[in-house]
Amino acid sequence: MSVASRQLQSLIRREVLRFVRRPYNTFLPPLITNVLYFSVFGVILGSRIGTISDVTYIQFVLPGLVVLGAISNAFENASFSIFHGRWNEYIHEVITSPLSHSYTVAGYVLASALRGFIIGGLIIGVGFLFTSIPFAHPLYLVSFGVVTTTLFAGLGVIGGLFAEDFDHLTVMNQFLLRPLVFFGGVFYSLDQLDGLAYTASLLNPMVYMVNGVRYGMLGMSEINPNTSLVVLTAATVVVLFINLLLFKRGVGITD
Amino acid sequence: MPPAIETVDLVKEYGELRALQELSLTVEEGEFFGLLGPNGAGKTTFINTLVGLVRKTGGEARVFGYDVEDDYQQARDAIGVAPQEFNVDRFFPIREVLEHKAGYHGVPADEAADRADEVLKRVGIYDKRNERFDWLSGGMKRRLLLARALVTDPDLLILDEPTAGVDVQLRHDLWELVTELNEEGTTILLTTHYIEEAERLCDRVAIMNEGRKVTVATPDELKGRGTDTIAVGLESTPASAPELGPYAHETTLSGDRLEVRVDDGGSIAPRLLNDLEARGYEIADLEITRTSLEEIFVDLTEREDRSVTRSTAESASDGDESETSETDTPPKREQEGVA
Repeated sequence: MSVASRQLQSLIRREVLRFVRRPYNTFLPPLITNVLYFSVFGVILGSRIGTISDVTYIQFVLPGLVVLGAISNAFENASFSIFHGRWNEYIHEVITSPLSHSYTVAGYVLASALRGFIIGGLIIGVGFLFTSIPFAHPLYLVSFGVVTTTLFAGLGVIGGLFAEDFDHLTVMNQFLLRPLVFFGGVFYSLDQLDGLAYTASLLNPMVYMVNGVRYGMLGMSEINPNTSLVVLTAATVVVLFINLLLFKRGVGITD
Repeated sequence: MPPAIETVDLVKEYGELRALQELSLTVEEGEFFGLLGPNGAGKTTFINTLVGLVRKTGGEARVFGYDVEDDYQQARDAIGVAPQEFNVDRFFPIREVLEHKAGYHGVPADEAADRADEVLKRVGIYDKRNERFDWLSGGMKRRLLLARALVTDPDLLILDEPTAGVDVQLRHDLWELVTELNEEGTTILLTTHYIEEAERLCDRVAIMNEGRKVTVATPDELKGRGTDTIAVGLESTPASAPELGPYAHETTLSGDRLEVRVDDGGSIAPRLLNDLEARGYEIADLEITRTSLEEIFVDLTEREDRSVTRSTAESASDGDESETSETDTPPKREQEGVA
């Protein structure tokens, strides 16, 4: 293994151990939240709603909840880890080391994407307790999982570098991410929207994620999954490039 | 072999404030080099420029010949830094913190674990290896910072105020340890407020003030620049202080005690005694006090302050004849807290 690979591996190991060793903060909350979601939206309300495009309501909302959990955790992991490191200045341990800028970005993004991916998997596991999942296109499911968690891990890096206070992290998560997800077709079908609302929804990146994951899990999508994948991959590349630029310029880290 | 540190006209500006002003400094490989200066002199800014925590505004900075920005990976790999402020990962036991730091430098995992144990033993906190940073005492935290700097086996060890606020025992332990490291070949850059520390440890020291290099010299050379005081006890109290030759910069009489300030007390003392006896003074005892490095430091930095104030006032008066060209007002320490 090369020196650079060992450097990257060390950063990923540190980042992964940080969330793995705190399951009460990282794994348990999304599990409990999703049991509640499935109970209320799936079982209690779902039984009155009936089917959407030939799938039960609980099956319909499951992909959206997976996306919500996965991207929230990917974003939160990167933003919190970087911001907390800046706040307490121990990010200096990384910055004063000979890790390249690209490997530094890779370390934070990969570890955070992994957390999002694991949470997404756990939510699917919870879903199994309530309904059946056909996994119509597993490769699409994995691809969308990788791209969306990587994208939001990258956005989390940006958030972590720009935040000046813990409040800023909360604002980003609660007032930016959550509304986008809730209006991203998690709980309703886009077909139910009129022309303007439908068009506006297409500007919401969550729509592509939710539909992509739904296609992978259930085989149904209101948007062409290949288009979604291309759009999301392009967005991910742009965000990662911004991450690299920010670390090169030392934004939020160097004076 | 290139110097361990070489900076040429290094400048760091924070808006209007110039924290480093055309600082040119060379630290040779294997040297124990001290940076002295009051708060806000730019010492920490200088260090942070080398390790990548501060981006220079201008000039050049190299570590073992590697540019700190263009070749940042090689430059940072050569440096171990124990900062003034505690900046340790709070999430992990300290042994793991050290393993991670070694890993960031590319050390294989098993070797990183061995090195972590080794440096924890070396700084005397091995029994605390499974504790987290927050549970350590202040002295142990200081030791950990040194262990973290050492775990990467650096060629250049930078210690930023390592003994600030530590007890005497720890201070002596640290002195012993860094002396050993220097003897083993590690180049050491030490910043300190404690003149005694620099005098005791350093081959050369640079005195900095307001981002400038005031002087670079060995502690002995610096002390040689100061004046000594010869205190003479007289058998009886004279009416006035005697008129002495030009070797006496200042003569003070206090009762039966005469104090004479001279350049080199050891060589001037016999002449002084002869002069006093020739004038009829009876001498009871004599004591020579060498100028401390601390006094020279204060003298040099104050002189620098006066010089800066004068040049500022002069340039301000260039366009306005009514302005005074010199002021006795102490210069404002604009850089306080920046470093």
